[in-house]
Amino acid sequence: MIQLKNLSKVFRTELIETHALRQIELQVSEGEFVALTGPSGSGKSTLLNVLGTLEHFDEGDYLLDGQSVRGLSDRQLSALRNEKIGFIFQGFNLIKDYSLLDNIELPLRYRGISASERKRRALEALELVGLAARKDYHPSQLSGGQQQRVAIARAIAGQPRILLADEPTGNLDSLMARQVMELLEQINRQGCTILMVTHDPDQARRASRQVQIVDGQLSDAAMYDPLAVKLA
Amino acid sequence: MEQFFYYVKVSWVSIKRAPLPYALTVFILSLGLGVFFANATFYYQMNSDPLPHKSDKLFYPMTLMVPYECNDCLPPRIHSYSNVQKLSASDIPTAKVAMYSSDGYLRLSSSQAPTPVSIRITQPAFFSMFEVPLLHGSVWSDDKARQELILSKQTAEKIFGRSNVVGEKVLLDDRHYTVIGVLDNWQMLPRLYDANNRNHVNDADQVYMPLETGYDYNYMSNSQSHTFDDTDFRQLGTQGRTGALHQLQFWVQLDTQAQQQAYRQFMDNLVADEKKAGRHQSTPNNQLVAMRDIVRFFGGESADIKAFALVTLLFLGVCLFNASHLSLNRYLSNQYEFSLRRALGASRLQLQQQMLADVLLMTLFCTLCGLLIAWGGVELLNYLWPANRLFGRWDPTLLLLLLGLTLSSSYLVTLYPSLRASFGGLNQQLKE
Repeated sequence: MIQLKNLSKVFRTELIETHALRQIELQVSEGEFVALTGPSGSGKSTLLNVLGTLEHFDEGDYLLDGQSVRGLSDRQLSALRNEKIGFIFQGFNLIKDYSLLDNIELPLRYRGISASERKRRALEALELVGLAARKDYHPSQLSGGQQQRVAIARAIAGQPRILLADEPTGNLDSLMARQVMELLEQINRQGCTILMVTHDPDQARRASRQVQIVDGQLSDAAMYDPLAVKLA
Repeated sequence: MEQFFYYVKVSWVSIKRAPLPYALTVFILSLGLGVFFANATFYYQMNSDPLPHKSDKLFYPMTLMVPYECNDCLPPRIHSYSNVQKLSASDIPTAKVAMYSSDGYLRLSSSQAPTPVSIRITQPAFFSMFEVPLLHGSVWSDDKARQELILSKQTAEKIFGRSNVVGEKVLLDDRHYTVIGVLDNWQMLPRLYDANNRNHVNDADQVYMPLETGYDYNYMSNSQSHTFDDTDFRQLGTQGRTGALHQLQFWVQLDTQAQQQAYRQFMDNLVADEKKAGRHQSTPNNQLVAMRDIVRFFGGESADIKAFALVTLLFLGVCLFNASHLSLNRYLSNQYEFSLRRALGASRLQLQQQMLADVLLMTLFCTLCGLLIAWGGVELLNYLWPANRLFGRWDPTLLLLLLGLTLSSSYLVTLYPSLRASFGGLNQQLKE
């Protein structure tokens, strides 16, 4: 489903060049739950952003469903993000002035889905994360864990095939982090491919595969892990 | 449509998030637009064409036939009675009219206090050539002298208390006249038929008198007159008709190119014949100026208004720059939301559509606020330059122009900031 071929990314300023990703080779199959681990600054978030087409890459290629994303126009990339990819951010990134329902409907609006269908899907997603009763609440009225569940609902409302989660439990206490992880596992069991950046070894172990990045390079074992175990 | 209302809602939410900077942006832009519009009102009205379908067919002929040698001279702006007779002696024009203005005192009877009035002393063709609307009665049947007047509606109502006063008697400078017609509300702006001496900015006249009657009763022009011989100004009925006393304006209607060409030739022949007859020695310098060019020809354009137009345009530019800067700050503080929307699937085009809703709201607020400021500006200009007060008025075309200007200004103020915001780094914004 996802194939990175010799992919590199360099951040340039006037003074220095930082090689964030070096010749990355990675394949992710449909339905996998991949944990991206590594020390701070190793390039795992950059890799996730490249996978989410939020960042461009300099060399190599990125194939999604066999199609290269290199050279796609802004409109095509937006459509790709909108239809195939769901994002979960560490800082939730909910719009505080909107109700939960409005927040969840946001990606669906850019797909031209009718109002009634949007509402149905948003409520369904809220139901899944256990917050349907609070659909008219605003993010500030919820706890951090609840906000992250709303962010997950927003990510899955568009029924994406890939979920990219950047330290989704980074801002949560252990109880809430466990709830969020259980939710992600549930979503993965329904067939959604998940790539998650995490620092937490316990959470990484819950993924079907761990990919470690050090200094912008994948560790050897990460390229193909024969011990990768699909979650039951 | 649902998406459009959503965009408007998003804009409104964004305004409510930081109302003060937004209000400041609207105020600065409205100030520039209001000040510019106040001045543009006068500029537009003064340069407007009151008879657009006819202003290229009505011409003001001028000939250099002064009774002394004058080379490189411009022809006089006004005509003598005898020259008008000569210029009228042609069937080429569809219509022709001579006129001038004077003052008098009007009242119903000698027991009443007289009311000062402005008088246009003219011929019947004046009313058809300049499309003057008649409310009651009719105009004079020919150019002969007669004791008959035509009144403006306001004058009839002021003197008689009603408008339909056809057949009533009045005293003008203690001579008895019969009212034969009353005009409907009429104010040609600018009054291009009276452009010499900047009279085009004045009110319409109140009383209309036959030209021959005006000469018979020795009414002198109240705007411009001069003589090139020893004509006695007090003997207008006699010497005024034969001497070189110039005070008449003269207009001809030439509907076609052929008529215009033929009348130019007629003027050339006339001047040549007059020179041959020894009535002048000047090098021919005939002018046939179309009504739409007459103010410019006489140099009657207001330098003040022009200078202010330039200054207010520069001021608008400064306001646009400042408003754009404030708008940029506002957009950059909302960049996180832009980036989030892009991450969730909005294309830059969709963000630009969102920006258009912003533009519409800003246009709405700036139009209202700008009109208020412009109204204050017009009142101030009326106070400072009361001579131009007739031009301080708005019409639908002008308001539409303001709306267009506000729309494009709002777009300009919003365009760059929104582009900056939609091209920002997604990753960085969403991390912060």
